[in-house]
Amino acid sequence: MADTKKDLLLKIRDLRIEGYSDEKWLEIVHGIDLTLHKGEVMGLIGESGAGKSTIGLAAMGFARDGCRISGGSIEFDGMELTTTSESDRRALRGSRIAYVAQSAAASFNPAHKIIDQHTEAPIHYRIRKRLEAQEDAMELYERLRLPNPQEIGFRYPHQVSGGQLQRAMTAMAMACRPDLIIFDEPTTALDVTTQIEVLAAIRDIVEQFNTAAIYITHDLAVVAQMADTIKVLLKGNEVEEADTETMLSNPKEDYTKSLWAVRSFKREQKERPGGGAVPVVSVQNVDASYGDTPVLHDVSFDIYAGMTVAVVGESGSGKSTTARCITGLLPPSSGKIVMNGVEMPPGYKQRSKEQLRQAQMIYQMADTALNPKVRICDIIGRPAQFYMGLKGGALKSRVDELLDLIELEPSKYYSRYPTELSGGQKQRIGIARALAAEPNFIICDEVTSALDQLVAEGILKLLDRLQKELNLAYMFITHDLATVRSIADEVVVMKQGEVVDSGPKNEMFTPPHHPYTDLLLSSVPEMDPNWLTTVLEERGVDNIGEAATV
Amino acid sequence: MNYFVIGYYALLIGASCLAAYYSVRSAFLLLFSLTLVSFIVGIVGGESALWTITICAGILALCIGTAYAFREFLVIVLWGEGSKAIKTAPLTATFGLFVIMTYAIAGIFAPIIAPYGEAEVIAGAFAPADENMLLGADQLGRDLFSRLVFGARNTVGIALLATTFAFVLGALAGLIAATLGGFFDNLMSRVVDVIMSVPSLIFALLLLSIMGTNAFVLIFIIAIIYAPRVFRLTRAVAGNVVVMDYIEAARLRGEGLWYLIRREILPNSTAPLIAEFGLEFCFVFLLVAGLSFLGLGIQPPTADWGSMVRENATLISFGEITPLFPAGAIALLTVAVNFVVDWMLFRSSGLKG
Repeated sequence: MADTKKDLLLKIRDLRIEGYSDEKWLEIVHGIDLTLHKGEVMGLIGESGAGKSTIGLAAMGFARDGCRISGGSIEFDGMELTTTSESDRRALRGSRIAYVAQSAAASFNPAHKIIDQHTEAPIHYRIRKRLEAQEDAMELYERLRLPNPQEIGFRYPHQVSGGQLQRAMTAMAMACRPDLIIFDEPTTALDVTTQIEVLAAIRDIVEQFNTAAIYITHDLAVVAQMADTIKVLLKGNEVEEADTETMLSNPKEDYTKSLWAVRSFKREQKERPGGGAVPVVSVQNVDASYGDTPVLHDVSFDIYAGMTVAVVGESGSGKSTTARCITGLLPPSSGKIVMNGVEMPPGYKQRSKEQLRQAQMIYQMADTALNPKVRICDIIGRPAQFYMGLKGGALKSRVDELLDLIELEPSKYYSRYPTELSGGQKQRIGIARALAAEPNFIICDEVTSALDQLVAEGILKLLDRLQKELNLAYMFITHDLATVRSIADEVVVMKQGEVVDSGPKNEMFTPPHHPYTDLLLSSVPEMDPNWLTTVLEERGVDNIGEAATV
Repeated sequence: MNYFVIGYYALLIGASCLAAYYSVRSAFLLLFSLTLVSFIVGIVGGESALWTITICAGILALCIGTAYAFREFLVIVLWGEGSKAIKTAPLTATFGLFVIMTYAIAGIFAPIIAPYGEAEVIAGAFAPADENMLLGADQLGRDLFSRLVFGARNTVGIALLATTFAFVLGALAGLIAATLGGFFDNLMSRVVDVIMSVPSLIFALLLLSIMGTNAFVLIFIIAIIYAPRVFRLTRAVAGNVVVMDYIEAARLRGEGLWYLIRREILPNSTAPLIAEFGLEFCFVFLLVAGLSFLGLGIQPPTADWGSMVRENATLISFGEITPLFPAGAIALLTVAVNFVVDWMLFRSSGLKG
């Protein structure tokens, strides 16, 4: 890969893109230069709003609705994309430039079989006949290590798992053997154990066909595995560009350094209170099922005041279901939930106002967790009004106090609507709403996974501070082990509805581990660019997939 | 050849040249193709055909002018959010608003505007228009214009009340069904299925002949017929809102059904409901007019556009256009409401951000 005499493939010079909002055009990408050679992989990283995806799409000569390319040049293999006709550009897309989107589930048409969607492009461009294209698809599936490559293409998208679908999508992008593939956060929505399979598959196939790629992500550790060079973006400007080794070991700009430093937030691990302390929440031998499908089996753990218990596991492992049992949304079929020594009625409808007040919840998607038609003051004020009976001036001063607590200026945000806030601010409002009920226990359901790393770190620090000030107990549901490392006191590892391992954080992160904990831990990408290769060698390439399903 | 024809072509060609000179592409294409069409129409239909084209174009221009002026007027008169929304509204929408406003004024101030009473006989049957009667008299010698104005009050008023009632009934049931789910949802959905399985006009005729025809029965029956459609839409819209996390948060807080519906669900489903209100209003309006035409709606001597069409229908065979006035009034309002609804749908579909 370190071939110095590579052919120039993509040359972007002084690219400017404008977006339409509030009845005027605003520049969102301010003059980006980008050079990509054949077979080279470039990583684009930055927070949301940095213009990563916009630049990625512009490399195909495409601008989203409400955006336009307002200046600069995009030269793909000697062809100027900003001036060629739309039909010529369309001919390039799919055949010579391909795009892999973040959510494969949303990008596949659920009404057609995977292989039919795969063969659409090659047949359309008359590169292959239908049968040849199908055989080729099966070969690609095999190379991407999908199980049953002969048969899997004939399934519908909902019949395969998320990681398999993402790999099928990569295969589809490869169908016409393009010169350039744009990967837009292809693994962000996946679990760590699935992510590693997809990363390995993408890296191999890009190498095998000597395809150039632009890899867009906000996860530094992932980009370190995939890219030859890394370009850091901030608000539509380039911060710096260097090859991966240099960038990781010796970043020049302060902003890059701050990105690198995010993962270093860590706090002291607290011990359980001794003596006869009663846990705030005690989950005791809980079984639960959705209809006839059992989802939880004999789940037990305790959470003490002022402590954070992280519940980790892949999606489908029953983390969120446990939370639903605790809140009473899903009454357990057996076992009980005890809060402060009092057994809770199983369903939330049977619980008293006071019992409901004690446990509050913060959601993953702040967008759907806040009513877009209700003002901030009413969102936060409602629990205070509902539980404490505050009115008028007392209510207003309580809302102000809460806004202060989450570090948002009361006068500025008091009467805004949620849509006028950024993702991190929305999440803070979600926290304030939980705090308004003055609970002693808060369930945090993947609260940081939809946020950028810098913003997520801010939220974690806030949660930590609030815990110290208000002696709150947290149940922290997450699949991100970096978060666990920074904030948890105790860890509960779940798999297929059962608790497989639990204990204080430091014990959990030092060997010997339970085999599943070990698999989870070793799947977390590290900043070392050779990490993926090392892990794959250790596990043996052929059983990465199997290891994840054991 | 006369001066009108010469002037007609001279104007069109001159305007085309101007448009071409200032390179206003669409205007040029429109004007010049109109010129070409006019040549053919002029040869086939003679001067009178050209007059028709001129009058149509004049009316269209008048409508556009009215809509434009009315939009500017609303932008100045309204304030805040409303003024902002009107500024970007298409001309069709403001034209619709203008028509609706005119009808509303006619309905509200009917006794002041109408020169004669609703049931006052002032001339012979089917008397032609003169300086007393703008549009002539109907089959009993009553002033058609006065009856048209009173008809606005009766027909539109009943349609509005019936639609509102249907909405209150349907939307409330839909919201409760979506929020509670389970048994209540099933029960309501089956009831709705039963009502919808009966053809609406026959159902209305049946009920009206059983219960007798007066305005309140009419409103009640129409509300029953149209509430199921509103129920279905509301249930579907609210169904999408109910699964959101903020509803779960409110439920976990221990909020009651009424709070959930009023504060959390309803504000997030108003846009499609308002658009649906406009559409349903048109259907209800047509149903009221249709029932009146069949003789089971609003009873004489109360003026009503549907029955006015029926009563004067015989005049059509004598080449009179009198019965077309109430029919035109119905058509114009329906079109106007649809213009406004289209605009609201466009806004609520999120295209405007």
